[in-house]
Amino acid sequence: MSRELSDLYRSLADDADGRHLAVPEVLRRRADRRARVRLAGTALAAAVLVGGVVTGTQLALSSERGPVAPPGGTPSPSPSVTEAVPTPSTAPTSVPPTGTPASSAGSAPPRTPTSIPDRAFFTPPAETTVMPPFFTERPEVLPELCGARLDDGVAQRRTRALTYHLQPRPEGYVPDGSYRHTITIHRAGRADDWMADLRQAVRDCPEQEVGSGTVSRQRLLSSGDHGDESVLFELRWPTRDDAGNAAAGETVRLVRAIRVGDVVTVLWEQGWESTSSDRSHVDDYSRRAQRAVERWLEG
Amino acid sequence: MRDAASFDEFYRSTSRRMLRYGYAVAGDHTEAQDLVQEAFARAWRQWGKLAAHPAPEAWLRLVVARLATDRWRRLTGWRVALSRTGPPGPVPPPSEDGVLLAAALRQLPAAQRQALALHYLFDMSVEDIAREAGVPTGTVKSWLSRGRTRLAALLPDLADEKLEANDVA
Repeated sequence: MSRELSDLYRSLADDADGRHLAVPEVLRRRADRRARVRLAGTALAAAVLVGGVVTGTQLALSSERGPVAPPGGTPSPSPSVTEAVPTPSTAPTSVPPTGTPASSAGSAPPRTPTSIPDRAFFTPPAETTVMPPFFTERPEVLPELCGARLDDGVAQRRTRALTYHLQPRPEGYVPDGSYRHTITIHRAGRADDWMADLRQAVRDCPEQEVGSGTVSRQRLLSSGDHGDESVLFELRWPTRDDAGNAAAGETVRLVRAIRVGDVVTVLWEQGWESTSSDRSHVDDYSRRAQRAVERWLEG
Repeated sequence: MRDAASFDEFYRSTSRRMLRYGYAVAGDHTEAQDLVQEAFARAWRQWGKLAAHPAPEAWLRLVVARLATDRWRRLTGWRVALSRTGPPGPVPPPSEDGVLLAAALRQLPAAQRQALALHYLFDMSVEDIAREAGVPTGTVKSWLSRGRTRLAALLPDLADEKLEANDVA
């Protein structure tokens, strides 16, 4: 076993050797420039939350790719009230009803999605977008939740990465955060099961070790009115610096999943260096993500 | 005062190993390049102190591992910055074995990926890995054993091997 695995690692190392890094002079210049920009950012200078480790969970596409039924139900209207709550602390009070709803009377039947087009994803505000969103093949949709696997019933999936500023900044400023934004199409009637499984996975994983001596705590939060149903949860761990030493405060990450019929859109806020998730920003992007899915499904 | 010459020497002497490690723990070439360069940037920012560190490479591995398990934070900036320095050089096609292993590693928990990489790429003992990770040796043995068991399940050619928790001690 060891020998064979050693051979595989040797091949992997050979592959890595074929790649190149910047020359050290370029790297130093870049690092120094970023340090100057960082110092200029007063908001970031005030933030001391650094680091933390959350491992992305493996949410592989289901190997079974059956036909995808049309998403049922008329999408709920978007909520209009934004709460500016930097650190969420409200416990969930109820579990949304399960069951993929049938189409409402009076609504045109939504078309059957067989793939996820670009327009299913919202366009983030240009003035606070750090770099154009880009799609990624990496499979992680959710952070690690004690090894829970939530891939049943997923027929299609697409993920992109977003980086943002909380307010307009000059070019070169370090972002305030980043998201992984994933849309999944589930087989008919399975999306609500997936949402229920997600809630249960969070409940079953109140604590987990996410690095050497670092324990992340997870809990469900009150998600508000999004789509047919939604799940919001946080991950919270003691902040550590780059070297792994304890630092002041806690790092918080927010994840929201919104179901519209048989489609689920997931926003996983992943921060940027010293930042924790900003609840009002997650709420804003959640509404944008929901509306984009609704417009896509309404054709 | 930071000494650029000593940093550049450190970079040149360790970057290849670090890129291998980054690939093994991230499972993706582009991400590995990003996170390794970010880790070196952090090393440069602290080079005044780090140059006197007894094991700066171990410090760097720790930062790479932390960045690798906290995906998409602070990494994309490198892609933008380096794209302005000119097109990348030619990249040889990856080997089938390397691709298979990288794909399988992506399905392992981060701690197992890191322990396996330290063992197979750096030839580190269980005790050395435990010291670097700051965990008991039993924990490292468990990571290695579970990681290899999972790899055996994911890589059919390895499936027939009997795995023991302590066969790397």
